[in-house]
Amino acid sequence: MATANSSAYRPGLVDMKTGQISREIFVNEQIYAEEQEKIFARAWLFIGHESQIPNPGDYAAARMGEEAVILCRDRTGEVHVFLNSCRHRGMKVCRYDEGNTMVFTCPYHGWSYGTDGRLVGVPFFREAYHSQLDRAQWGLVEVAQLARYKGSVWATWDPAAPPFLEYLGAASGFLDLQLDGWDGRGGQAEVLGGVQKWLIPCNWKFPAENFSGDTYHNISHRSVDLAGIGPSGSGRRDMSELLAGRKLHVCLPDRGHQTILYLSPPDDTPRPAYQNTPLVAEYFRHCEEERRRRLGDKARLLGAPGEIFPNTALLSRQPRTMAAWHPKSPHETEVWRWFFVDKDAPSEVKNFLRDYYIRYSGPGGMTEQDDMENWNYAHAASRGTIARRHPYTYEQGIGTAVENFEWQGMRVPGRVVDITDVRSSEEPARNLYRRWAEFMQADSWDELMTWRKNARAAAE
Amino acid sequence: MSDPINIRALMPGTQITLTDGAVAEIVSNPADGVWVFARYLDSPRDPALVGQEEMIFAQDVVAAAPPK
Amino acid sequence: MSDTDARTAHLLLTHEVAEFLYREAELLDERRYDEWLALLADDLRYWMPMRRNVKFGEEGREFTREGQDIAWFDEGKDTLTRRVRQIQTGIHWAEEPVSRISHLVTNVHLVEATPSAAEAREVTARCRFLIYRNRVETETDILVGKREDVLRRPNDSEGGDGWQIARRKIILDQNVLLSKNLTFFF
Repeated sequence: MATANSSAYRPGLVDMKTGQISREIFVNEQIYAEEQEKIFARAWLFIGHESQIPNPGDYAAARMGEEAVILCRDRTGEVHVFLNSCRHRGMKVCRYDEGNTMVFTCPYHGWSYGTDGRLVGVPFFREAYHSQLDRAQWGLVEVAQLARYKGSVWATWDPAAPPFLEYLGAASGFLDLQLDGWDGRGGQAEVLGGVQKWLIPCNWKFPAENFSGDTYHNISHRSVDLAGIGPSGSGRRDMSELLAGRKLHVCLPDRGHQTILYLSPPDDTPRPAYQNTPLVAEYFRHCEEERRRRLGDKARLLGAPGEIFPNTALLSRQPRTMAAWHPKSPHETEVWRWFFVDKDAPSEVKNFLRDYYIRYSGPGGMTEQDDMENWNYAHAASRGTIARRHPYTYEQGIGTAVENFEWQGMRVPGRVVDITDVRSSEEPARNLYRRWAEFMQADSWDELMTWRKNARAAAE
Repeated sequence: MSDPINIRALMPGTQITLTDGAVAEIVSNPADGVWVFARYLDSPRDPALVGQEEMIFAQDVVAAAPPK
Repeated sequence: MSDTDARTAHLLLTHEVAEFLYREAELLDERRYDEWLALLADDLRYWMPMRRNVKFGEEGREFTREGQDIAWFDEGKDTLTRRVRQIQTGIHWAEEPVSRISHLVTNVHLVEATPSAAEAREVTARCRFLIYRNRVETETDILVGKREDVLRRPNDSEGGDGWQIARRKIILDQNVLLSKNLTFFF
């Protein structure tokens, strides 16, 4: 049986030996069309968070790839994700961003669906359909699999995809950093009201690659470092808590997830951070203490930008946000951004964080603005005939990743590059694109689940 | 021919008269202007419907009397 | 005060406020940011909520809430000052090269004048805006919406009308933001 092979897809496009990747993957219409089938129709995609739909009947607009879907909670409390399109003639059955409803009704011919997706209302069913229509066949198209992880909701159209936890592998640890309480309690995150949605004129993979762990682009953000929007009034972030230990690139090659992580020394005392007001500073100091008490050694890991394959960006601290890079065309992406706080944090803390988040991230965010400018014109400059002949280089630090990384008693999974001293590597981007090419090539999920093959081989 | 009725904002308890002469009382209204959930009070065409709660389509509603 | 006097006072005040808003727009269009910052009260709140598509009758859900939810902007003078400083570094790539911007301010009308139009110390004014932003070669954004401003005249300062912007609420007529960034001021 074939195994996923990154170099088999359009040979030369993604060359892991030289670390060179063709610009075609960003600008080519045919490749984009193939991505919709090979990646967005098969992978697990981030839908939203349960705190957006707390009550039965609650719904929120969502997106999977290019397609509009509805995230909703039915009358029994079950969560569903449906394609937002009437089965009869396709009209969107929901044009609102959020709300609470008994049914989703299509305004074209009046078909109506319950919050569990079942077709419940068909005009003139007795007369025009002679009671013949098999309504059970014509409910809203529902995702093949849905998973809830500490409030986050994920879905896939592919019944052959591995279960979500298996899809994540060790990246569940990255999600824990995102969604657990600042004090270490499990799954305390809630979404602040309002999901930012905006259009950027570039391919979705520019931001996906950036959030995978681009540690080389700090010069992009020098102006915001100078302007000083950080939580303690200077720089972009409070760095003292991050610079105490090692800065790592952590890549899961067989999954395509990767992240920057900070690994503090053992028995490190909490560094001053979030000094905005005494109440806020004390809250975070207390949380850090509690976190160390609850998690022990695991508290040494601090989150930073990361990416769950293919297009979900994580950032668990400074600021605490997730993004989905929804493809619209090869040349345009619609970004959705969610911001998180612990649900029982005092309102003064939530307000402090909210202030920081929206001046940092999003189109009004002084940091993210410069990222988007670079992505915009990098994409634009890569569309031409001549430009497309010249690959990008992703060779930084090639061959330096190690497995079984350990530092001062803490083991970190995956292929790790310690970038504390070397300042940067491009291993995360290589990891992302290696997996991307495997997905584009593989005919089935069987080929993509190399960990299952390895487990079987090890057992034999 | 009666004027069309906007069923979107009809309150529960409203009695509606349908094209086939049936009368039903609104139980709940999804406020989409297309359907209401109503219990049949009187149904000459199909008496078995009396007491049943059904989805009623807007075009089938010819009159509405507000709840007392 | 006679009816004519009251109407005259209202007319003069409306004109004065409109002139102030046009001059403010001029400062921004000419990138005279420090002079613009001087027009902002120290306790300014500058808020641009996000907008949702909501069902008829659920208008209460349309706007994200000030001080509670995420917004496009929900900040004070300190953050606005930092935005200006960022542009002035000359290395804020999203504004380097700088954008060409014109602020069209229109439909200016007074909602309230305290204590009176004739002796106003604080005014609530509404207007409409069209911000035309063009940058680099062909990149163009047109943003249209409504503003509600609270202007305050703290004291009779020399050589000027002394108005300051104490509060600005910006209602942009968009749901998904159609601009890649908001590096300019509303």
